[in-house]
Amino acid sequence: MELRVIEKTDAELRMEIAGEDHTFMNVLKGALLETPGVTAATYDMNPEQSGGQTEPILSIKTEEGTDPLDAVGDASRRVQDLADDFVTAFDAAA
Amino acid sequence: MSYKCSRCKRDVELDEYGGVRCPYCGHRVLLKERAPTIKEVDVE
Amino acid sequence: MVADFEVEFIERDDRNARFLVRGASPAFANGIRRAMIADVPTFSIDTVRFVENSSVMFDEMIGLRLGLVPLTTPLDDFEVGETVTLALDVEGPGTAYSGDIETSDDLVEPADDNIPIIELKEQQRIELEADAVLDTGREHAKHQGGVAVGYRHLQRVEVVGDAGEFDEGEPNILRGVIETEDGELVATDEFDHDLAERYPGKELAVHDVPGAFVFHVETDGSFSVEELVTRAAESIGARAAELETKVAV
Repeated sequence: MELRVIEKTDAELRMEIAGEDHTFMNVLKGALLETPGVTAATYDMNPEQSGGQTEPILSIKTEEGTDPLDAVGDASRRVQDLADDFVTAFDAAA
Repeated sequence: MSYKCSRCKRDVELDEYGGVRCPYCGHRVLLKERAPTIKEVDVE
Repeated sequence: MVADFEVEFIERDDRNARFLVRGASPAFANGIRRAMIADVPTFSIDTVRFVENSSVMFDEMIGLRLGLVPLTTPLDDFEVGETVTLALDVEGPGTAYSGDIETSDDLVEPADDNIPIIELKEQQRIELEADAVLDTGREHAKHQGGVAVGYRHLQRVEVVGDAGEFDEGEPNILRGVIETEDGELVATDEFDHDLAERYPGKELAVHDVPGAFVFHVETDGSFSVEELVTRAAESIGARAAELETKVAV
């Protein structure tokens, strides 16, 4: 996973997350939309054959007072908690 | 180049002057044998 | 606890299972599914050294077949990229089976021993040495541990009344798992996938249950279903952890 910030203001962030695909990006986007202070989150990814930009680009907008990079941090914390809770629940049933 | 005669099954060495012919039985059909080396193949 | 997951098994076997997950978002369910297919690594033969091949097929064709033989993969003991050497030496007449493959490490061996590789006639022989490498399904489909992985929504079936007396008794086909009004989970194959069979003469309402996904997971024998599901969830967690540390810098 290689990060490259393309554009960053106090309320907006565009960042390339190289080496990831829909598997992680969609989970991350879902978690971002549930993160407090995030008003919009999406990612764009082009197929390999299209040429040009094929690595996913994450775009988010936040409310005033929330740094977009912190929001990404919070969301990834949330994804880890989700994964841990899922494993716990699964092991309990298995 | 080493070949095998398809009639008498003997190993045949061909050089560039002798033409394509088995020196033992005169047969003109020679078979190229698989090289005795180990061949490495990448599975894709 | 950020989400209250509830997991319940409906069918369970070493290689095949059906389980219900409640409390998951569609994004998370799909992430787990995709990770099971493409991100959990398995061993698969990647390089073959042919000492002899007098069979009727080219080396490359046999190599391809060998690559598709599932190998047991103890993920605790190996890292992605590590290799294990295997060997096969069979002389005709007879068929070379996956069970004839010898391994240098008993932890990594063919998951099934009855997969035919090639039929050999009199005088034909194959002798080879092969390196199996641990890699993910994203690199090559032969490394996929999950062979049939998917999910459906759990569907809740409610009886809303009696069917009209002169209504045609038409079948009402539904596949997956239903939840009855008593909260019981029933796989639809128990009533031949036909709701009319289970609720004859009733008028029914069928709804998707939000956040409830019925996963069907089948592995190729490389590891158990539990291992596959757990590793998939962990791989998503690990990527999130990586992102968190990188963003914090």
